[in-house]
Amino acid sequence: MLGTLSGRQRRDVQQRLAQEPALRAAVVEWEDRLLPLTALVPAVPPSPRLWPRVIRSLDAMEPVATSAPLASRHGVRDSLCRSLAFWRGLTVAGFTAAAIAMMILPVKFGTPETRFMVVLVAPGDKSPGWVVQARADQRVELIPLGMLQVPADKSLQFWTKADDWKTPVSLGIIQPGERVTVPLDNLPSLQINQLFELTLEPRTGSPTGRPTGPIQFIGRAVQVY
Amino acid sequence: MTPSSDSFDYEAALAACAADNRDALLQIYNHEGGRLLGVVLRIVRDKAMAEDIVHDTCIKIWTGASGFDPAKGTARGWIYSIARHLALNAVRDGRRNVDLDDDAVSALDDQASLEAWNDMTDSFAWETSHGRITFCLEQLEPARRNCILHAYVDGFSHREIAERLNAPLGTIKAWIKRSLAALRECLT
Repeated sequence: MLGTLSGRQRRDVQQRLAQEPALRAAVVEWEDRLLPLTALVPAVPPSPRLWPRVIRSLDAMEPVATSAPLASRHGVRDSLCRSLAFWRGLTVAGFTAAAIAMMILPVKFGTPETRFMVVLVAPGDKSPGWVVQARADQRVELIPLGMLQVPADKSLQFWTKADDWKTPVSLGIIQPGERVTVPLDNLPSLQINQLFELTLEPRTGSPTGRPTGPIQFIGRAVQVY
Repeated sequence: MTPSSDSFDYEAALAACAADNRDALLQIYNHEGGRLLGVVLRIVRDKAMAEDIVHDTCIKIWTGASGFDPAKGTARGWIYSIARHLALNAVRDGRRNVDLDDDAVSALDDQASLEAWNDMTDSFAWETSHGRITFCLEQLEPARRNCILHAYVDGFSHREIAERLNAPLGTIKAWIKRSLAALRECLT
């Protein structure tokens, strides 16, 4: 407060100030007492660029950076929406970029138990269409990133296959645009690199118990925790 | 300098900042920016660094406004303490204190120092009265008063004051301690 302490002493005091309200109160008292002494120093006009700098810095601050709790709640939602929009905007960016972006999402999307994430992208242009979130309690959540158009006489079927399985196993028919939770009761635990795909099948599903139609979206599980 | 600061409602301005009102921050800046810059410049002695610090102060005022508790101190005091702390931190980390150990300092010629103190005139120009603090400071001997002022206004450390006044470090520390106590008595 007076300014007489060395660098190390200042840091020590600052630590104490954070923990001791009585010390804080004493310092504040002294600062108010000595405040009139600031009048001993002549004012110096700031350069005209200083205020615009301040404005630019305020503009650059994320909403979550402010101390107001209300703003930070909005900020988390805003960041979430921005993530989704970023997501949807990915077209030629490629699977790798999408997978990397996916690594960030779990913090906002998933519960602490989430173990695997899968990005399902179209085979050709790699545009992402779905996110699969696989929880440790053997349930798989399928989250659409957009509205897929499925012909009236067709259905979208969800399959999964781990590397050492012979054939994919059906997880059921999925309604496009709907978020779905699929239990994996009768299957072994999820593995890294486990394949997930959505194929276009006849309306009542694949007649053979294996994928027959074209793959709409495909991806492999990436472990996130 | 007229006490125009008395008519500006700093507490209201801070509350408006907390409510996301940038115009309030601008008002604080217009009202206090020049004085803040002067105070900071006196401590850091570098105009560019001083402007950086005033910029950082504005940001800290903005982000901290909602946490300010008017029951615990004045808003104007809070604003200045932010600026001064940033300035002092910048200076403490930047300045390399010559590593005089206390023994070396106290080995200085005590007699010569004592005479120098007695000859000391005020190194600070006094403006017209700024309330009780001026009166109370005038009750101190010039040497002791200058210690307080060098510390507060110039941001000197104990060592730096000791070197400047050619006085033992221990004496400077004791003087400042006793002078602060005397000031507190006088001011309450």
